Parts: sequence; C-alpha cells; structure tokens
Amino acid sequence: MSVEIWCIAEHRGGVLDADTLQLLGAARKLGGTAVAVVCAADPAPLAEQLSTSADKVIALRHEALSDFTPGGYAQAIAPLARERQPGAILMLHSHFLGRDLGPLLASRLETGLISDCTELGWDEGLVGWRLVYRRKLLAKQKAAGAPPHMATCQRGAFMPAEASDSPGEIENLEAAIEADSLGWKVLGFEEAEVGDEDITEAEVIVVGGRGVGDQETFDSMRELTKLLGGALASTRPVVDQGWADRGLQIGSSGKTVRPRLYIGMGVSGAIQHVVGMRESDVIVAVNKDARAPIFEYADYGMVADLKEILQRLVEQLREMRG
Amino acid sequence: MRIAVCMKAVVEPEARIELSAAGELQRSELRYELNEYDLYAVEEAIRANEAHDAEVTVVSLGTEDVVQSLRKGLAMGATNAVHIKTDDDLADSAASAAVLAEALRARQPDLVLAGVESDDLGGSQVGVLLAERLGYNCATMTIGVEIPGPDAKEVKVRRELEGGNYLDIEVALPAVLTIQTGINEPRYPTLKGIMASKRKELVEMTPAELGFGQLPAARVETVELSYPPPRELARMLEGGPDEMVAELLRLLREEEKVL
Ligand SMILES: Cc1cc2nc3c(=O)[nH]c(=O)nc-3n(C[C@H](O)[C@H](O)[C@H](O)COP(=O)(O)OP(=O)(O)OC[C@H]3O[C@@H](n4cnc5c(N)ncnc54)[C@H](O)[C@@H]3O)c2cc1C
Repeated sequence: MSVEIWCIAEHRGGVLDADTLQLLGAARKLGGTAVAVVCAADPAPLAEQLSTSADKVIALRHEALSDFTPGGYAQAIAPLARERQPGAILMLHSHFLGRDLGPLLASRLETGLISDCTELGWDEGLVGWRLVYRRKLLAKQKAAGAPPHMATCQRGAFMPAEASDSPGEIENLEAAIEADSLGWKVLGFEEAEVGDEDITEAEVIVVGGRGVGDQETFDSMRELTKLLGGALASTRPVVDQGWADRGLQIGSSGKTVRPRLYIGMGVSGAIQHVVGMRESDVIVAVNKDARAPIFEYADYGMVADLKEILQRLVEQLREMRG
Repeated sequence: MRIAVCMKAVVEPEARIELSAAGELQRSELRYELNEYDLYAVEEAIRANEAHDAEVTVVSLGTEDVVQSLRKGLAMGATNAVHIKTDDDLADSAASAAVLAEALRARQPDLVLAGVESDDLGGSQVGVLLAERLGYNCATMTIGVEIPGPDAKEVKVRRELEGGNYLDIEVALPAVLTIQTGINEPRYPTLKGIMASKRKELVEMTPAELGFGQLPAARVETVELSYPPPRELARMLEGGPDEMVAELLRLLREEEKVL
C-alpha cells in the first residue's frame, strides 16, 4: 500500500469546491493513495461525492464543524494525523483553508508547510516548487523534520483526479472538538458587490492596472470601452486606490471573466489577477516593462506607454468607425 | 490597549532579480522597501490609536534594510519601534514567527497586526504561526476591523474570501489579524510626523538577547533557486505606437474577428 496523502476538502454551504479534485490529482501524481478528508456537521453527501474521485475518504463529523473555523478543523484533523502519520497533507492555497488552517495545522503538527505550490515531488520528504519575487524566480523547497509534511497548492496548477468506476471507501469518524476554545464566532456571510455594470457579462473588457497612475487616466479609458462596446474593469490596486469600485475588480478576490476580447493596460500579470481572466478568448497586453508576466498569458503584446496606446486606439477606432 | 504591527522590508517590486553562477540570489544588489500589505496594517493600528488611545509598536526582523520601514511607521504615527537584528533574511516563516513571538511576549499586545503576506516571498504563514506561538487567536485576510473600545475583549473582523465575498466573525482578544490591501487608505507621513519620529524610541535587539543561542531551525528549506522555465510569449507588435495600434486593430478585425 502506497503512502497516504491527505487532501483537505474545501466546501461552503454544503457545496464542494471543485478545485479540491486538483489536490487528489496532485496526490496521485505523487504516487500516493489519494485520501480526501472532509470536515463537516453533515459530511455524508460531500464524502459520497468525493469518493468517486478519491481512493479513500475520511469523513470527520461534529456539530462545531457546521461553519469553517481554523480551530475546529485543526482540532478535528491534528490528532488523527498524529496517529496515522500520512506522508503529506495538501490543501488549496485558498483564503479559507490555505491561509488560516494551513499554517495552524502545520504548527500543531510541528511540521513544515510549503505555500502556494505549482508542482510537488518527493526527495526524502515532500518538496514543492513555488514562484517567488513576483514570479521572477522559481524556488524548490523542502519540508524539514518528520512527516506528515504539508503543502498548499495553487488553484489550477494540478489536473483534477479523474472519477473512477469503483468509489473509494468512506470512513466515518466523530471528531472531538472543544467548541468553547475556537476563538472565532461566525456572524455572517455576505456576497460580493456586483456594482452598476456586471463585467462578467461583457464581451469586450478593457482593464486598467496600477500602471494607469491616476483616476483621470483610468476614467479616460471609458472612451475606449464605449468605442468597443465593452466594459471597463480593473486590477485590485486600482480598487484599493479608490479609482474603481470593487465590483470592477478581476481576479481571485474579484470577478472571473471570459470575454471575447481582454485588453489590459498597466497590468503586471500577478497570478491573483490572471486566474480571473486567463480564459478570455483573445488577450492583449500593454506594458512598459517587456518582462511583465502578463505577456506570458497574452496573445498580442505591446511594450509601450499605455497613454500613448490608449490615445491612438481611440483615434484609429474613431476613424475606422467613421 | 496595546497594538503591535509586524512589518517586513521586501525586495522592491520592480527589482531585476539575478542569480549568481552558483544559483544564489545577489542580495547586495537589491533595494528594499516596506511590504505593501504591512503599510495597510500600520495604518489600521494608527487609526485604533487615534480612536482608542492605543499604544502602537512597529516590529521588524531583519538586516539594516528594515530600519527605513520602521522609521516610516513611526513617522505615520506609531508610538515606538523594535528592530530585531539579523545578518540575513530568515527565509523560513516558522523561524521568523518564533523570534517575533519572543520579542512581543514581554509587551503582551492585545492585538497584533501583520500583512496577509510578503510581496517578495508570499508565504502567508508568519501571522498564523506567530499567533500559535503566543497562544493568541488569529484571523487572516482581514478587510475590516471594529474595535468596540479601549478595553475591548473581542473585535469584529470582516474577512475577505475568494470571489470578493465576505465572512464576518468575532474574534476574542488577544489576537493576531493579517491585513489585506484596501482595508483603509494609508496616510503619507507628514513633515511634522517625520520630525516627531526622530525623537521616538527605536529599540534594537538580537535573537541572542531574546534567548536564541542559535536561530530556530527552518521547517522549510529552500534547496534551489532558478529562473522559471520560459513560457511562450505573446506575439509582440513592433514599431512606434501608431504602427503597433494599426497592426493590432487589423489583427483583431481580420484574424481574430473580434471587432
Ligand atoms: C489574497 C490576495 C488576493 C488578491 N486578489 C486580487 C484580485 O482579485 N485581483 C487583482 O488584480 N489582484 C489581486 N491581488 C493582488 C495581486 O497580487 C497584485 O498585487 C495585483 O494584481 C497587481 O495589480 P497591477 O498589475 O495593477 O499592479 P502592479 O503589479 O503594480 O503592475 C503595474 C504594471 O504597470 C506597468 N506600468 C506602469 N506604468 C506604465 C505605463 N505608463 N504604461 C504601461 N505600463 C505601465 C508596470 O510595468 C507594471 O507591470 C491579490 C493579492 C492577494 C494577496
């Protein structure tokens, strides 16, 4: 029997985050037994769903697991991980599990956590590859000490595990959680703001990044969107500066768009932005820095000052349209 | 109320990063600046100071490169600063958290703020690991904090989830919160603030003084740095702006048929 690799399932409101299957894919690629671990107040439906892709499912049940709290998940998983010593524990580098639970569980298990991996391997322990210094370097990192080693996986970096004909066995366990010691009280959940225009519906999107430099230049991009019959959107820093409403933000903490045409100006191409736009049909990027990562995702690139390009796009489109 | 803010000096975002023939980072060539996420954390602490008369200590671990960032925090309005001096970055989150925890333990802050991650290494672990070391509660990805008053026993925290959704929680103090950009609008230090900061206390200490005979062992080691494999680039348009734009519009119309 090969080493077990535990993949912590991400879910909210009874709905499985489908990217969890990428963890199972990563576990298989590592040559391990892909074990899905699901923590919930009623894990049965999720466990059933996971069993079609996992070699095995561990379903941890407790009332206190009805909401995600890092403390609750850690109390459910840590003792079992100590007892069974899986080879590795994987989770998504998500806001929910990756950022809160990952380091917490690593601390409780006194083990190393390799963050935001795009590739994993074994070399007398778990090794992970991750992009650092704004994607300018690739770091190969190794977890020190005794297993279970841990890693968080970048969304989209691994192929999801395929469903198999024989569902994995489900093991149901009652978790032991001290509900008073969680430190978190969940008050409520609120959906993201949509804003006046729904950018997810637009066929053409012009995106201003931090490189636009000021509110005026960002606003002036509306001329171009009007001529193209599209919508104006932005990266996160543009929203943080107050130049755009939050509803216009594209990326992991904003909207995911898939227009026929995406034109990005002054956008560097950080992964948190790219995950929200890389499925666009045709991608055009304007950046003054020839090494900007956005050019790796674009179909057409221009190394130029965006203001010069913006002005000429407006002029030439006006001419074209008569 | 006592608040501590953990700050990191990160490699300038625009820096050209080069490796030596031995595959080592050429650190001496690099310039550092305050991590953008931490800037928002400092601002949030100073607002609490203004509202509830909180004492704000900015803390940083690293070489002389961090001093400029600490000074910036003082100029923005922090009460005092702590510099834990090391010869090199501690690239390991667990080691950094262990040392920071010892520096903070004596001060017993009610609230510790830090950026959600560092712009250069992006491990996003130190805040949580620090909370564990101190036995504090913790929440990451904070996009809103409500401190009910100077003697608050808990704070209301708005966390940002993926897709821009929000989760509101109540966290019992003492706690560590990691702060996301956009939570506030960081102020620029005023001339008056800069002048005042020169008289503020900046304590220097070493890991040895904090009881670390040697630095804590890394839980994650970087075994190799390399340039990412080249990916296929966009078709780059040539010429002056007029020609590039003309060519782009032709391509979009005739070949891509999206215009
Ligand atoms: C948890 C988390 C969630 C996040 N979620 C999102 C998200 O949903 N969406 C998002 O966008 N980001 C998100 N981010 C932030 C992300 O990591 C990047 O910081 C951000 O995407 C960078 O935005 P940018 O490209 O506009 O700015 P920068 O990275 O600062 O890039 C600006 C670019 O403009 C170029 N430029 C400057 N001046 C000019 C000019 N005159 N002409 C042409 N080019 C010029 C520069 O060369 C540079 O490449 C998130 C980060 C975290 C940690």
